Amino acid sequence: MATIVGGIGTSHAPTIGVAWDRGQQQEPSWAPLFNGYIPARQWLDDIKPDLFLIVYNDHVNQFFFDTYPTFALGVGAVHAQADEGWGKRPLPDLPGDPDFAWHLARSLVSDEFDPTICQEMTLDHGVLSFLPLLTDTAWKVPVVPLAVNVIQHPIPTARRLYRLGAALRHAIETYPGDKRIVVFGTGGLTHQLHGESFGRHNEAWDNEFMDRLETDPVGLSELSIQEYMERGGTEGVEMIMWLAMRGALGGTVRRVHRNYTAPFTTGYGLLVLET
Amino acid sequence: MDDVILGAYVFTGERSAHSYHLNKMANSLRSAETRAQFQADEAGYMRAMGCSDHEIALVHRRDWKAMMEYGASIYLLLKIGAATGHPLPEIGAATGGMTVAEYQAKKAH
Repeated sequence: MATIVGGIGTSHAPTIGVAWDRGQQQEPSWAPLFNGYIPARQWLDDIKPDLFLIVYNDHVNQFFFDTYPTFALGVGAVHAQADEGWGKRPLPDLPGDPDFAWHLARSLVSDEFDPTICQEMTLDHGVLSFLPLLTDTAWKVPVVPLAVNVIQHPIPTARRLYRLGAALRHAIETYPGDKRIVVFGTGGLTHQLHGESFGRHNEAWDNEFMDRLETDPVGLSELSIQEYMERGGTEGVEMIMWLAMRGALGGTVRRVHRNYTAPFTTGYGLLVLET
Repeated sequence: MDDVILGAYVFTGERSAHSYHLNKMANSLRSAETRAQFQADEAGYMRAMGCSDHEIALVHRRDWKAMMEYGASIYLLLKIGAATGHPLPEIGAATGGMTVAEYQAKKAH
């Protein structure tokens, strides 16, 4: 059977990719963020995962509002990079894992989660902003992406994402092949992009959220979408995707690494957990 | 759930439907070819995409605040911004009633 060897919570922001491509990692304003990824990358090098299962959101690059799925799973052998409007970055397309992804599709539907199944799924900064900070851009570890609607309301509840995590764990534990899998929850932390309060973020809530993700994920899962937006902005609601990662890990976790940088457009968090 | 939370617009289905054609036009700007067509004739391109005269005027004025109030998604405004040379800090500062310098004074990035 496959096993979950750990979980990573990470923000995703397009500016990270721009700074990375320009080689700005050691500039003073960027170094605290980029250097924060070095221990996480070392941890990944040590545990040698076979697969990244990444819960993320698309920013209207794969999907448009003509047909906007609540959950969508990428089952293709290759995931192309989206042109988000600025042209593509100098990165190769990502390898997928159809065998595991189709197993995951069957298991999720059996557990009453019903993702849209995508044999072609272009990926945007929701995955590609942070991934080069964590792994070789020759992309030696395949990626199975699971997209969540967190931008056009109604969106799923925090509890739904936490339960999705448990369904991911069930799928991983029933996969017949040996695989060492890292589950990612991405997005957030607090940020506000729509309206007069543009730029608002909330460092206290960001840090409380990362504390409680370790110790009180059930409590976090009971907060309403309205409460997430009041505390962290209408786009800060992306934080609920971290609960899918935490739900997959289950029980008690051990923190391997944590980093937080602000003030950026988003509060920028990184959390590495082991079961 | 509230439609506006602490001065922020919740992108509801109703808001999405109201601004649908403007968002759809912006969504089409995800290739070099369509960006070039848009840049060559903004109004003609937008009209062919089903946008109204009001929507065309909003884009012509680069009135990000009004586009946001109209219901446009920030993720689609970013694509119009990319095609016209206006990055996120500029769009965001305008919607927040700040200058870009005022916004950047608050943020490292």
